[in-house]
Amino acid sequence: MAAAVGDRARPVEPGRWRGRLLTGALMLPATLWYLVLLVAPIAIVLVFSFGNRTRIGGYSPGFSFDNYANAIRSPDPFLTSLFLSVVGTALCLLVGLPLAYFIATRATKRKALLIVLLVIPFWTSFLIRTYAWLLILGPEGLAGFIKDLTGSTSFRILGTEPGVLIGLLYGYLPLMIFPLYVTLERMDRALVEASKDLGAGRWATFRQVTLPIALPGLITGSILVFIPMMGEYVIPQLLGYGQVYTVGNLLYSRFLEARNWPSGSALAMILIVIMLAVVTVYVWLTNRGRTVRNVSVV
Amino acid sequence: MASPAVPIPASRSVGGRARAGVDRYGRLVETWLRGHTLLVYLFLYLPIVVVVVFSFNGTQRRVTNWDGFSLRWYQVVLADKAIQGYLLNSVIVGTATAVISTIFGTMAALGLQRTPRWFRAPFDALTYVSIIIPELVIALASLVFFASTIGPEGVVTNLTGVKLGFGFHTIVSALALFNISLVMLLVRARMSGMDRTHVEASYDLYGTPWRTFWQITFPQLLPAIIAGFLLSFTFAFDDYLITTFVNGQGTSTMPLFVFGQIRRGVTPATNAVAAIMLLVTLSVLLLGQFLTRRRGATGRDTSVAGMIAEQGA
Amino acid sequence: MAEDLDTLLRRMAQSRVHRRGFLKGSGLAGLSAMIAACSPGASASPSSAPSTASSTAPSTGASPSEAASPSPSAVAVTETEGKLFMYNWSDYVDPDNIEKFKKDFKVDTFTYDVYDSNEELLTKLQGGASGQWDIGAPTAEFVEAMVAGGFIEKIDWMKLPNAALIDPQFQNFYKDDKADLNNYHLPKDWGTTGIAIRSKDVTEDVKTWKDFFDLAPKYSGKIVIVNSPGDVFVAPLKALGYSLNSVDPKELGEARELLRGLAPHVLALDSNTYDAKLATEEAVMGLVWTGGIDDLKEKPETADTKYIIPEDGTLFWMDTWVIFKNPPHPNSAYAFLNFIHDPEVQAKETVTNRYATANTEAMKLVPQELLNNPTVFVPPDVLASGKLEGAQDVSTDPLRVEIWEEFSSSIGH
Repeated sequence: MAAAVGDRARPVEPGRWRGRLLTGALMLPATLWYLVLLVAPIAIVLVFSFGNRTRIGGYSPGFSFDNYANAIRSPDPFLTSLFLSVVGTALCLLVGLPLAYFIATRATKRKALLIVLLVIPFWTSFLIRTYAWLLILGPEGLAGFIKDLTGSTSFRILGTEPGVLIGLLYGYLPLMIFPLYVTLERMDRALVEASKDLGAGRWATFRQVTLPIALPGLITGSILVFIPMMGEYVIPQLLGYGQVYTVGNLLYSRFLEARNWPSGSALAMILIVIMLAVVTVYVWLTNRGRTVRNVSVV
Repeated sequence: MASPAVPIPASRSVGGRARAGVDRYGRLVETWLRGHTLLVYLFLYLPIVVVVVFSFNGTQRRVTNWDGFSLRWYQVVLADKAIQGYLLNSVIVGTATAVISTIFGTMAALGLQRTPRWFRAPFDALTYVSIIIPELVIALASLVFFASTIGPEGVVTNLTGVKLGFGFHTIVSALALFNISLVMLLVRARMSGMDRTHVEASYDLYGTPWRTFWQITFPQLLPAIIAGFLLSFTFAFDDYLITTFVNGQGTSTMPLFVFGQIRRGVTPATNAVAAIMLLVTLSVLLLGQFLTRRRGATGRDTSVAGMIAEQGA
Repeated sequence: MAEDLDTLLRRMAQSRVHRRGFLKGSGLAGLSAMIAACSPGASASPSSAPSTASSTAPSTGASPSEAASPSPSAVAVTETEGKLFMYNWSDYVDPDNIEKFKKDFKVDTFTYDVYDSNEELLTKLQGGASGQWDIGAPTAEFVEAMVAGGFIEKIDWMKLPNAALIDPQFQNFYKDDKADLNNYHLPKDWGTTGIAIRSKDVTEDVKTWKDFFDLAPKYSGKIVIVNSPGDVFVAPLKALGYSLNSVDPKELGEARELLRGLAPHVLALDSNTYDAKLATEEAVMGLVWTGGIDDLKEKPETADTKYIIPEDGTLFWMDTWVIFKNPPHPNSAYAFLNFIHDPEVQAKETVTNRYATANTEAMKLVPQELLNNPTVFVPPDVLASGKLEGAQDVSTDPLRVEIWEEFSSSIGH
């Protein structure tokens, strides 16, 4: 009669076949999206990459590896993109982590407000925001101010890599902050308290309690920032004055200026393969030594 | 989640003296954290201030050419139905993409844990590829794909006779790709380390799967879901490349309008639109804050903001 | 005034135009083959027949036989379908004119979709977006590719009486074996690419592209150039005395050397805000378009700005109306095209947009100060000299692509 609660079978937990149905239903939309709107377009890009271009540009059927052979004339755009992405991601992390930590742990009542305030600036249009940066960092703004201060005649922020980095930091900060925030926010404050009670200093607590908990968010954030930064070309073009020439500029030039879809496609495929390898290695490295329990929460 | 039931007097606990010593830096760290936060928000809003100031630019044409204070561009925006149409289209695209991406992305994050390994590895790879692929490439490839399937001479059109063509559906579908992955990654990061104890407890107490999800799992995931929704909306609302390539007749958005102005010179019209939007959203936010605080004072706060606040308390 | 212009412009038609670029690739036969073979999606099959249609003697006639022939007996369309779908740059038609059109022709739905560049428009059409819009206004050199891809309709001149008002020099943009292309477009406006200087910093008398290159080292780091390959090639090719549409490897090789010498001195490749850079003197010399230059000239602090049409020749660009293939509302399209070239309507366009018109009757209604403004209208003597050359679609030429990639990735270094 008064058996223990756990003794009885759990009549309402989904059975095995219903479980499979549930899994299928959950995964169906995203899988469909990937197949139709990712795999199919990439197949098109792949086919293009082996083709020829017509006189007026575009694509005409063919099969040759020429486009791959001629895809990379110089490593410089790649190196520039790599530099910008690595430094840019690091900057986003340095600037974003304390902010995410503050909102997650200190801003008890105003969390929602602070979070929404983070994205509102990005509901203004990208181009006019960038024009604003041109003014702020240009000869009538910060650069002019520093020029007067130091007496230099040729000091410039815009048209240099630091100028581009400021623009990248600005544009990508939310992408770093949000993953960090959602992981830090789950942190049980009791752990931090306990750590301090046991004599660990603030830094040690941060390193051994906070950081491991934030790690999934850190990995997600760095991937979400680093990867798109590699393909970025508008910010380098506008804030870098075209002097900072990236892989994105190269893609744009091949596809739209030269209208050489096969050449652009080959370059894109090479880029995708390299980046996929980089991400795979990164994720594998950061997952080593972590016990990642794949446990279903439904 | 709550602090210890019994406060531990500092002087008597193990390492209490060490704790007292460590907290000497406490003040400094707290001040630094606050200062850093403030600086970042200033950094984020500095260009916005410039944008709003230039919305009052009395120039005839180019926004970079300051020509005195004037409300003319507000007049232009409020009278121009075309611009209002572009803004409305942006809102439609942003909202639709955000809703779709949030729902499907969350579903996928929940389901992924349950899938067998042979499925999970390629799926993960595709998730990363959807983020890796440069926007220009996916924009053009999606255009070709749509044209050859649902375009006027596409395969599907010829087979079924239904002319879907280009429009909001193509824009939202193409934008949702990246954003589904985004939401999925956010929710997965949130879920990482979560275990089934609460879920099991709920089943032990005869909760149905549906109720278990809504009362146990969903509240825990909520910050990630909201974060995903906000980011998806932002990316879709202000997207240029994909939108311009797969849009249809009548679905031009604000970003297309402002980039299309480059040839003749970008006017402060977009600044005026941005300023008006800022006014509206900030007012709504502050109003929401005000209402929430009032409700929180009277009792249990079941609003979203309240729940989020509760999570971290 | 218009008659003098006519004569002068006819003389301009006799200027030598470099032909080798035109002979490369398909001729007229190939064009029709391409149109026939157009399939949905991306492919336009390469031409089947090489060019057979030309002698080597440069043309001296004023109008080729297959040129556009607006007919005096044309009758305007008055009944429309009630809608019009435009695809164009932003703010490219005067809003008052749009309202007038809607009222006069009972068009209650006038949608205005926007693109930001010719390349994007063409890429979209090549990708399969064709068939959704009625009219657009690309830059003239893209008409060739659009016809080759089958994206625009041949114009029925019998429906456009106002087309007779267009100066033939502009209507007949394409020459010789490409003259049939002139039946696919209707000029909208035109202008030039030239040199802009802040004369208080650049004290030399800059007259030619050669001067531009010679002065570059002196003003190193203060030079701005529009980010457009078609415009950038104008400078070296004209400085060397060649056609700006040249695809000859030897000529391009010489141009490349000039560009290599220029690159380290360039501050920025900027199509958006070159005028702002000139205003702050971040740049004191530039290869630019005319947009924004007038604003600089009107302001006291920057009134020393000068826009120079180089004497060794330069590019004139022309934006031109086209009717997209299978327009949803053909009557509305023709009604609009005829309406926009009603002299009063066209004059208003000129005043609002501040771009020169090709409509001779409209020019009579344009205020004199605009006609005298060299950034808007080119002075008659310059037009007569035959120095302005229309651009052709040569950006896809592999050698040009290579040179442009090299130049654009090495500026400032």
